Amino acid sequence: MKKSLIALLGMIFLGASQVYAQGTNELKIVVNPDPININVGEEIQINAKVVNADGVVQPDTVLFFSRSPRSLSVSREGYAKALKPGTSNVMVFKPAQGESPSIRTTIEVMVTYPKLEKLVFTESTSEMYEGTSFLTSTVIYDEMDFLRDDLEITDFRSSKPDVAQINRYGKINAKKPGKTTISATYDGITTSFDLRVEENPVRSVELSVDKESARTGDVLHLTAIAKDRKDREVEDAPIEYSFTSVPDDHRGQGASAQIEQDGRFVANHPGLYTIIARNAGSVDEVTVRIEPRNVGRDISVAGFGAVSDVYTSDLWVWEGVDGRDYAVTGTWSAKGDALFWDVTDPSNMHIIDTVTVDARTVNDVKVSEDGRIAVISREGASNRKNGLVILDVSDPSDVKILSRFDDGLSGGVHNVFIDKGYVYAINNGRKYDIINIKDPANPFRVSEFELDTPGHSVHDVWVVDGIAYSSNWTDGVVAVDVGGNATPDMPGAGGSPENPVKLGSYTYPSGWNHAAFPFKSKSADKFYIAAGDEAFPNGEAAGYIHFFDLSSWENGQEVARYEVPEAGTHNIWIQDDVMYVAYYQGGLRIVDVSGELMGNLYDQGREIARYLPKDPDGKIPNSPQAWGPQPYKDLIFVSDMNSGLWALKLSPPNTASAQ
Amino acid sequence: MKFVKQTFIPLILLAIIITPKLIAQDYYAYVAAESEDEVHLVHFNANTQNLEIAETIHVGRYPTEIDGPHGITVSPDGKNWFVSIAHGNPYGYLAKYSTETNELISTAELGMFPASMEISEATGLLYVVNFNLHGDMVPSTVSVIDPESMIRIVDVDTGIMPHGSRLSTDGRRQYHVSMMTDELIEINAQTLEVSRRLKLGKDAQKMNHEGMDHSKMDHSAMSGPNGSMPMHKPVEKPTWADPHPTKPFVYVAGNGSNELLEISTKDWQITRRFTTGKAPYNLEVSPNGKLVVVSYKGEGATGVWDIESGKELAKIPNTRRVSHGVAITPDSKYAFITVEGVGGEPGSVDVIDLNTLKNVDHVDTGKQAGGIYFWKQVK
Repeated sequence: MKKSLIALLGMIFLGASQVYAQGTNELKIVVNPDPININVGEEIQINAKVVNADGVVQPDTVLFFSRSPRSLSVSREGYAKALKPGTSNVMVFKPAQGESPSIRTTIEVMVTYPKLEKLVFTESTSEMYEGTSFLTSTVIYDEMDFLRDDLEITDFRSSKPDVAQINRYGKINAKKPGKTTISATYDGITTSFDLRVEENPVRSVELSVDKESARTGDVLHLTAIAKDRKDREVEDAPIEYSFTSVPDDHRGQGASAQIEQDGRFVANHPGLYTIIARNAGSVDEVTVRIEPRNVGRDISVAGFGAVSDVYTSDLWVWEGVDGRDYAVTGTWSAKGDALFWDVTDPSNMHIIDTVTVDARTVNDVKVSEDGRIAVISREGASNRKNGLVILDVSDPSDVKILSRFDDGLSGGVHNVFIDKGYVYAINNGRKYDIINIKDPANPFRVSEFELDTPGHSVHDVWVVDGIAYSSNWTDGVVAVDVGGNATPDMPGAGGSPENPVKLGSYTYPSGWNHAAFPFKSKSADKFYIAAGDEAFPNGEAAGYIHFFDLSSWENGQEVARYEVPEAGTHNIWIQDDVMYVAYYQGGLRIVDVSGELMGNLYDQGREIARYLPKDPDGKIPNSPQAWGPQPYKDLIFVSDMNSGLWALKLSPPNTASAQ
Repeated sequence: MKFVKQTFIPLILLAIIITPKLIAQDYYAYVAAESEDEVHLVHFNANTQNLEIAETIHVGRYPTEIDGPHGITVSPDGKNWFVSIAHGNPYGYLAKYSTETNELISTAELGMFPASMEISEATGLLYVVNFNLHGDMVPSTVSVIDPESMIRIVDVDTGIMPHGSRLSTDGRRQYHVSMMTDELIEINAQTLEVSRRLKLGKDAQKMNHEGMDHSKMDHSAMSGPNGSMPMHKPVEKPTWADPHPTKPFVYVAGNGSNELLEISTKDWQITRRFTTGKAPYNLEVSPNGKLVVVSYKGEGATGVWDIESGKELAKIPNTRRVSHGVAITPDSKYAFITVEGVGGEPGSVDVIDLNTLKNVDHVDTGKQAGGIYFWKQVK
């Protein structure tokens, strides 16, 4: 018995030693050449062999993989080609063979920058008036024609500094009439241009402003005319604009205004502003009074419909065929419900019907213009077919399912829009399908629109006046003609739902574009697209609303933003120059977007009201997470993820208890 | 001394005999809840026959979108778990977590709707299928990731809607299926190239594909719009492949044909076909090589098959509808089954005793429990 026990224990120890003996193999990969330095465009064969602890080469094969193939392409056999400068890593991998385990190593390949080849002034001038200044711009390229934007050029010179001086930032100050050569040098490469400084004919500058008093956020337009001794206009005289300010509140207040050299000025804070126009020694100034915008209004709760067992998603409010007011809300990560509400008396809003479909999330809900048809989206269907469901809502207390459409929509429909008998359905976040629902019991696809950019993705689509505005993350907002009314300044492209035609796109660097709402300003001759972000960079919602000023479909300039620093945007709605933003944890924000827009509207006193929808009995108690707003009649409805449906009412203008 | 020998040694022997009964037998597995953006660490105590959620980890990047954790695996050393996040913008990604802290370590971008995956013990690389579940019917890829650096080192071209990535015991062959072309596909895990493809249809078996290297054939003339292959209407719609731990066979779930297929990797042909319950989805061969456990997605049940006899030993109802994943404990005693549920139902994990062939316990999870992978067994 004793012997048996000892033998058993011995076996146990033996087994343990075998386990721990694993991983002691001392094979290693030796790479040649080492180190590896090559130039961009060069090719090299990287060699590697497997050796044991005694340095004996083993008969193993190795494979090579580039960890940055866009910078360094490497075949599995180790044939490398340098595509971009910098340090690239190559993994050298020996698969397991027989009893020999796999091993790997990573080597660095230094791809050296090609020689610098040319320096170019991208902004220069051949003539200047005495006493004026000009900011140049330079770039440098290497022999491979790569732009070296990592290099800072600071060696600027003027051949005759008494004629014109140039500082290390490339700004020229014209001193006196004469000729000089302006040069820039970097690492032995020089470029230059000839500059003639002429006697400055300007003897005076006259500055006018289109308004002598305005409110915060109002954009003022400056006109400065330079004149010679005979009082004639000097049309090519450059003007520099600047300002000084005496804000009403001068106790540590932040930046008070913003001025652009194209002659636009906007103030964030009330006070006295002196705007200055200057050409050399000729200066004029105008003082303007900026008043508080005073758009704040009190907001109150007109009604609340609690949804505390599930998360609430989007909403739509409409006037039913019977003249009563109704709303539908979706549910998120729940059991596939769409809730129908009677909101005629908002103080007594209540659910009158619930439609349950095979889904976890009914993310979006929309109702047709005539109030008879609703479309709800499906995600998380148990059969993974998802798609959308078309409903008869002519009697919202007895909603009927007319049809389901999931053909080709199995990836889930995240958002939908109804316009003139067509549904625009986001398909798998990749494209949007256009589906004819004129016979809602028999829907059929008529077309689809998909970008062709690498890795494209789409999140939402909204149709206004025959133009579909989709929100496409990194591809920004894309305008597509689906039957738009052409105007002389913004002509369409002959598109239709059956033939969607792209008009233009408007991107911004963050790539967070999640929603879009176009609007023709009622108070300025402007056509804007408000582009909303969605992002959670640190786990909390972030992002803001970007405003693009469209002069044509091809040209949209980002001119303004509305950025609440401590929260993140979700859905938006703009009506009568008022923007309603569901700002997630920042609640509902109501913002005056009248007039021309410039700068950060958040700083300009444009916020009319805000409301934090929260419910102590909510899905997450006392935690606002505003999802979607909709102004409707004299109310603003808001769906909130954690609490449900809210109806809010603004007090009349200029009656706010505190501005 | 004699007293000691007579008393102490029998006591030791007795302790050895009864120790397995006294020492707790704990099993841990990671489970992905696709419609809840959660991963659960589930713990099963074999002594008490109790299954519980030991920890829940929220995954994904968008708290207000469903990111869809789908496939899950654990590194061979047990130090990390990996989950594929299927719903991307548009691409999904792989997320690497520590099993010690369950905290996110790093991510790597993958293809469209990345799904099941496993790490080769031979190469140390992770092989994940880009299922592209909702995209156009075009050939997809298997992404090969270095789990250490989380670098995607290569995408291996494969069939349409590839799924069920599992490796041979020696780690040198990766097997998956191409759902929409009815194929079993073998990748050489070392050279990272498709080595063999096998048509799984009954008609296709009449053709001798032996020796054909499809990877070098030009199929472009056969393609429809966007490279699709409209001429093939899938029948088997295979959704999973798992190689036998010791024998030269791979077992495939024929989701469309309600079959369990046995394929000889030696002869590269189907050796047996078994009619199963409705819509077999995932399967796993027990580590002792005796059983195949198959989830029947279409009927909310799990089939336990005896490999030698080819008989279904039992069909065990799951606790709810839409059965999904299978993970068997290393001692081949228990099978963990994930069940998705429908709509607002929670998901669940069932534990089946593979000796009694009975469901011994279950635990509710986040919605749509899917991917499951065994982590560790603790005595």
